[in-house]
Amino acid sequence: MSGTKARGDAPVAKNVSSGGGLGAAAPSRDRKPGGGVLKRLRSRRSQVDSRPVTEEDLRAQGGHIMPEDVLGLRVATRGYLCKPEDNIYNIDFVRFKIRDLETGTVLFEIAKPPHTDDDEENREADASAGRFVRYQFTPAFLQLRTVGATVEFTVGNRPLNNFRMIERHYFRDRLLKSFDFDFGFCIPNSRNTCEHIYEFPQLSESLVRQMVEHPYETRSDSFYFVENRLVMHNKADYAYNGGQ
Amino acid sequence: MGLLTILKKMKQKEREMRLLMLGLDNAGKTTILKKFNGEDVSTISPTLGFNIQTLEHRGFKLNIWDVGGQKSLRSYWRNYFESTDGLVWVVDSADRLRMEDCRQELSALLLEERLAGATLLVFANKQDLPGALSQEAIREALALEQIKSHHWCIISCSAVTGENLLSGVDWLLDDIAARIFTAD
Repeated sequence: MSGTKARGDAPVAKNVSSGGGLGAAAPSRDRKPGGGVLKRLRSRRSQVDSRPVTEEDLRAQGGHIMPEDVLGLRVATRGYLCKPEDNIYNIDFVRFKIRDLETGTVLFEIAKPPHTDDDEENREADASAGRFVRYQFTPAFLQLRTVGATVEFTVGNRPLNNFRMIERHYFRDRLLKSFDFDFGFCIPNSRNTCEHIYEFPQLSESLVRQMVEHPYETRSDSFYFVENRLVMHNKADYAYNGGQ
Repeated sequence: MGLLTILKKMKQKEREMRLLMLGLDNAGKTTILKKFNGEDVSTISPTLGFNIQTLEHRGFKLNIWDVGGQKSLRSYWRNYFESTDGLVWVVDSADRLRMEDCRQELSALLLEERLAGATLLVFANKQDLPGALSQEAIREALALEQIKSHHWCIISCSAVTGENLLSGVDWLLDDIAARIFTAD
């Protein structure tokens, strides 16, 4: 959306020069800047990475997995850190989209078909059904500059408090990117979307070459927490050698 | 160095802002959000929850929250007040019949303690429609001149054409930045 970043269809940035008078001068106000300083402090989160931990450590510790636990992982997990039935809130990811902000092109979009009874049967047959996705991209994908990643999800008939997503992307044992986002509250029976627009991590040429040459060794774990308890764990792996 | 100074410095380093976009249903909140980000706005359906955009603009990390405006959803708005730096109130300028509803909902929000520190931007949206009220008429209908508790500004815009969306948001960012990122 800034002149240099968002270039979709009819970008708003073109209107910069059209100006348009501001309606009213803001009255001066005598108040503390920012408002609710302590609330801000409380809502802050330590940026320090948790101490390193392995998947085995987490399994051995028992009890519920917390956000701090997964922030300490240094490689993609092999298994799942929770069961499908831990999703007692019926959170359902129904759409995923990636677009290139430089060109406004949608690169990838997948929408889940409406729920049917068959889904239930499949889920029982395979515990990882619906929790794992395999992506195949071309090498050009790794050259993108600014991308927007959208997820859409629905929520069951209970409200969600402190819904938080932590997503970690690795190539082999190297952490490429870690997302940490608080959705906060979600309305019961709601349908919600979230688009993160971000600069693609700048990867060295040799790393890009390795990622292309070693399909599916780029992996991600998506962890979803409600009130600091892990309720969903999804995984993906990626190949960048498409079209070759 | 006091607590406030330290907090300012921390904020400044991240330069992160949280904007909350509210208004009656069909005001155009989601269309504004999508247009702003260069997305297709030809098929927008009513928001039955929220839409979030996180992006960088002018060196700020913005988190923009658009929460559905249907009457049944308004009681949930309070769940999104926390840590809001800027409130964007979107008005359908052509919806003359509900202008009084619109005024009441806005004035209730301005009494909320958790929004006390937020800057208010009013978007007089849908100026492209023939029956749209002018920015001046909306300022009067919403009794904006009586607001003493918040920095505020009204800007006429069209989410469909994109007109004035950027200048509105830029005013909002400037006002917030002047309040919370001031150098010491």
